[in-house]
Amino acid sequence: MKEELHRLNCFVENKPGVLARIVGLFSGRGYNIQSLSVGPTEDGSVSRMKIDVLGDDRVIRQIILQLRNQVNVIEVTSRRKNS
Amino acid sequence: MKTKQQVTGAQALVDSLAKAGTEVLFGYPGGAVLDIFNCLPDAPFQFVLGRHEQGSVHMADGYARATGKVGVCLVTSGPGATNTVTGLATANMDGVPLVCITGQVTMSQIGTDAFQEADTTGITRAVSKHNFLVHSADELPEIVAEAFYIATHGKPGPVVIDIPKNVQQALTVATYPERVSLRAYHPESFATSAQMARLAKLINEAERPVIYAGGGVIASGAAKDVAALAHRAQIPVATTLMGLGAFDERDPLALRLAGMHGNAAANYAINHTDLLIALGVRFSDRVTGKLAAYAKKAKIVHVDCDPASIGKNVRVSLGIVADVKDVLTTVSSRVKAADHSNWLAQIEEWRRKRPMAYKPMHKNVIMPQQVIEAIDKATKGEAVLVTDVGQHQMWAAQYFRHNRPRRFLTSGGMGTMGFGIPAAIGAALGRPDRKIVAICGDGGAQMTFEELVVAVEHKLPITFVVINNACLGMVRQWQELFYGKRYAGSILSVRGRPANERLEQDLKYDYLPDFVKLAQAHGADAVRVIDPVKLDGVIRKAVNSGRTTLVEVIVEPRANVYPMQPGGQPVEGMIFE
Repeated sequence: MKEELHRLNCFVENKPGVLARIVGLFSGRGYNIQSLSVGPTEDGSVSRMKIDVLGDDRVIRQIILQLRNQVNVIEVTSRRKNS
Repeated sequence: MKTKQQVTGAQALVDSLAKAGTEVLFGYPGGAVLDIFNCLPDAPFQFVLGRHEQGSVHMADGYARATGKVGVCLVTSGPGATNTVTGLATANMDGVPLVCITGQVTMSQIGTDAFQEADTTGITRAVSKHNFLVHSADELPEIVAEAFYIATHGKPGPVVIDIPKNVQQALTVATYPERVSLRAYHPESFATSAQMARLAKLINEAERPVIYAGGGVIASGAAKDVAALAHRAQIPVATTLMGLGAFDERDPLALRLAGMHGNAAANYAINHTDLLIALGVRFSDRVTGKLAAYAKKAKIVHVDCDPASIGKNVRVSLGIVADVKDVLTTVSSRVKAADHSNWLAQIEEWRRKRPMAYKPMHKNVIMPQQVIEAIDKATKGEAVLVTDVGQHQMWAAQYFRHNRPRRFLTSGGMGTMGFGIPAAIGAALGRPDRKIVAICGDGGAQMTFEELVVAVEHKLPITFVVINNACLGMVRQWQELFYGKRYAGSILSVRGRPANERLEQDLKYDYLPDFVKLAQAHGADAVRVIDPVKLDGVIRKAVNSGRTTLVEVIVEPRANVYPMQPGGQPVEGMIFE
């Protein structure tokens, strides 16, 4: 399957350690994050992470499911990023 | 108005653990948890002192596997916490619910390289289901409640609570919450009625179905439902290592263990089935072998509570994210009775052609498989069997007739040597009504042998059987089969080592340590068996003695585990001798 750039939008609880937990999911499995930004949402207790990662559909699907399994992750969406 | 009573964070923790249902707390003290230990003499639960933190976590793990309850353990900061890593990883891989409390240096010291400081949440993140660093005593009861909830909901797993010393000392009025509500974690069953209908239809239409049951069946308490489905539609049942006990192996429909060291009939059946009904499994590489060739004629149905496990390793026709028991209860009424007699006859032929069997290699030398059979005979199918990791673990999986859930406790995913002795102690404390037999190799037994005193102190009637082949048998087997018989680092006896590992030939002992003396030094009864004729009698006497007993069995050192489907090979690559 073809590797493509995907943008994951990850809404997480705004708590210490959550960023490390999310990033650890990628690094621990050998996936390289191309770009990452974290910012507040209107609800101060929720942060939004924008994560760009390269992978085929199967890998991306697996990452999303693993992210959703995390206790602090509220929702994850993804889309292909057109280059 | 009555004012709420202030207590220390340490007391609030102990009260919360009691509220959460803790009956036994395993652990080891140290500077950063002295405030908590100070509350323990008045706690309404038992405290069991291990001799190494890894042992304490494995004890909590064995307790949890044997009882289905949460195992709880308490250790200090720094080395206490880092010593739990192997235990946590073991529980994490096998989905065992644990709550592990670690002490931490005071908040103001964190990040200063203080004495016995370690970044415990950082270190344990990858080996636990979740972890917490507690910032205030006020949030402690709620975090304990959340930890127990997370440990037991969805796929179970270990949860770490790291508590700085000043939080333990601070005063709070917070009490244990009535209910837990987590904002972002809602593991749910998503099975739709359309999925149920599809599953029933697939089962009703299948000609050569196989049920493939894993640890998830045991975790969800669905063993009876699996048996009901199997009997109704006459579907043979294979199990994973973690699933042993989920289906009674004395049943004619039992295919028993599948996978790398599984029964030929089980692996052939999976290879020829047209419908693989996978329940509470994760398609480990130790089961599938070469993925592209795995169950290649089959539609695969995968039911598991972990959404991330579905479609991870194999492509499935129908994936259902749900509790196995929920699914089986709903679907069973829609499944028609069937007989599948041709299919079952084919399986019987495979069984006849390739039975699980071994031959003695030398006269008057005990074969390790014989030891497992002797334990099975002596305990009459009523024991909880705990294993360590290696060849003996596979023989225990193959030659014991597993018949009920939570009776075979083994480190499956992580393959942790040293698991056996402490896990058996935890199991014995959780199930005092059961006979507990721990089987270890001579390698793994030496990794956590110090825990034996805990069994003696608590007068636990555990039989520890050390199957001694004077080598690290599974490593030696792979070296024999795949690495040109170069036995580097795997031979524990004087003879048979490579030249640069050679010991003096006139060393007083060929085998070290002397396990009988070692066990006696720990206060246990101990006996050694060398003569095959005496094996049954010694094992029977030990398991019926009601005392902590170690039986060292000197076995054939060159015995290998067969059959074997080497890693990454298809089922045709199975070797039998």
